[in-house]
Amino acid sequence: MPNVKIDPNDIMIQLRGLQKAFGAQTVLADVNLNIRRGETMVIIGQSGGGKSVILKHMIGLLQPDGGEVVVDGVTISTPKFFDTRTIRKKMGMLFQSGALFDSMDTGENIAFALREHHPELSEKQVQEVVTEKLKLINLVPEFRSKMPSELSGGMRKRVALARAIALSPEILLYDEPTTGLDPITSDVINDLILDMQSKLGVTSVVVTHDMVSAFKVADRIAMLYKGRIIEVGTVDEIKNTTNPFVKQFITGKRKINPEDTAN
Amino acid sequence: MLKILLAPLFFLGKMIANGISSVGELCCILWFTVRQLPYVFRTWGLVLKQMVAIGVSSMPLLFVTSIFTGMVATVQASFQFRGLVADKWVGTAACKMVLIELGPLLTALVLAGRVGSALAAEIASMREKEELDAHEVLGLDPYRYLAMPRFVAFMSMVPCLTVISNCLALIGGWIVAVLALDISSYTFYTGMQYLFNPMDLFGGTIKSFVFGVIIFLIGWLHGINAAPGARGVGLATKDAVVSCCLMILILDLATDAILFQ
Repeated sequence: MPNVKIDPNDIMIQLRGLQKAFGAQTVLADVNLNIRRGETMVIIGQSGGGKSVILKHMIGLLQPDGGEVVVDGVTISTPKFFDTRTIRKKMGMLFQSGALFDSMDTGENIAFALREHHPELSEKQVQEVVTEKLKLINLVPEFRSKMPSELSGGMRKRVALARAIALSPEILLYDEPTTGLDPITSDVINDLILDMQSKLGVTSVVVTHDMVSAFKVADRIAMLYKGRIIEVGTVDEIKNTTNPFVKQFITGKRKINPEDTAN
Repeated sequence: MLKILLAPLFFLGKMIANGISSVGELCCILWFTVRQLPYVFRTWGLVLKQMVAIGVSSMPLLFVTSIFTGMVATVQASFQFRGLVADKWVGTAACKMVLIELGPLLTALVLAGRVGSALAAEIASMREKEELDAHEVLGLDPYRYLAMPRFVAFMSMVPCLTVISNCLALIGGWIVAVLALDISSYTFYTGMQYLFNPMDLFGGTIKSFVFGVIIFLIGWLHGINAAPGARGVGLATKDAVVSCCLMILILDLATDAILFQ
């Protein structure tokens, strides 16, 4: 578990009564969650349960049907007052597939947003930032000339993380960061998530169903079930939960233990 | 019974509604893209890259189709008119056909198949791989960095390619006239000059500009609306080519009616 001081009253992201449906299918029924500044919140839940949808609401890629999303005191779920560019400069997101720009090499992927948002930077300064970000994710500067197609799954995620932190965001969102990776590469990614928190002091939201990863990186874990957050707690609290659905999920059982329901 | 009778009406109504919705979407895409034009010099590198992809890379295919188009036009003109009118009219007919109609139309149809489909497939694939979302998340407007450079490239390269295609088609026509139809170069050239109106060339180029814009709009529309998965990308590509060809033919008639009254 990370060792970073977090003020429980300093809320960075607030979800209040978040609702979202796609056609007739309700994905988020009533999601309420407070994420503290500097903490790593892991959202767990079944595949297709709406975890990624929550992330997309946090960064404004989706607008809710009801409820509010407040990021650093700014309500971003009301389009009228939504300054997309400013709020997104505060946030970085690691996509499940990495979502690297295929037509650009690794260095260009990291430098692209930097050049556009900071035209005052010289090319030398941009390249320095690229080198620094590559070092942060434990990659040598020579990697900058590799094309995304030449990278393995783990490498792609690391480069995507370097791109996400290029603008020095205050919030990092991770969408299934270890999905599709072998256990060792997954652990490398977990360490990087912890590094980002300790070295950059970012607030992190990790969406995953990989419990090894969740227990390693989380300050707190929230469980999404049937469109609602049914439990929030520290790693120990979640491990010792009495909630049958959370217990079923973290132990990976196909059916709920009848004894848990009886309790 | 009433339901069965009304089914064709419902189908027609749905088609009209879809058509109106698509026109609305095309207008929105055009507006969002045109709004980014002031940033064209900041993204000049991306524009140039697209110009090469759309223009330079299409040259070999266009070279072959244009030469043969000119040859066929000349052979047909000769076949239809020979013995009825003087040989110089073959050059006149070939020149008129190529500059007004065949050059712009066939160039646009070839480009719709080659680069319109590629645009739809590329954008659909980028959407599938969350690259469009990644642009948004990084605070980079996809319309500025993806749509506008392609729009400028299509808008400029389709007319350029049409002019080149016209020249190549006339060269093809001249070759077949001299080598196969026993028409002298002088006669063919005089015929080309005869009844030549600069409006033919100008009108054809204007048409190709309109075709360039529509290929971009339809390619982009089908790309961003593609269904998930490989099947979605395939369908988007096919629909883009079919819609592009249809719209090019409709707009050809419309622009003809306006420009060549």
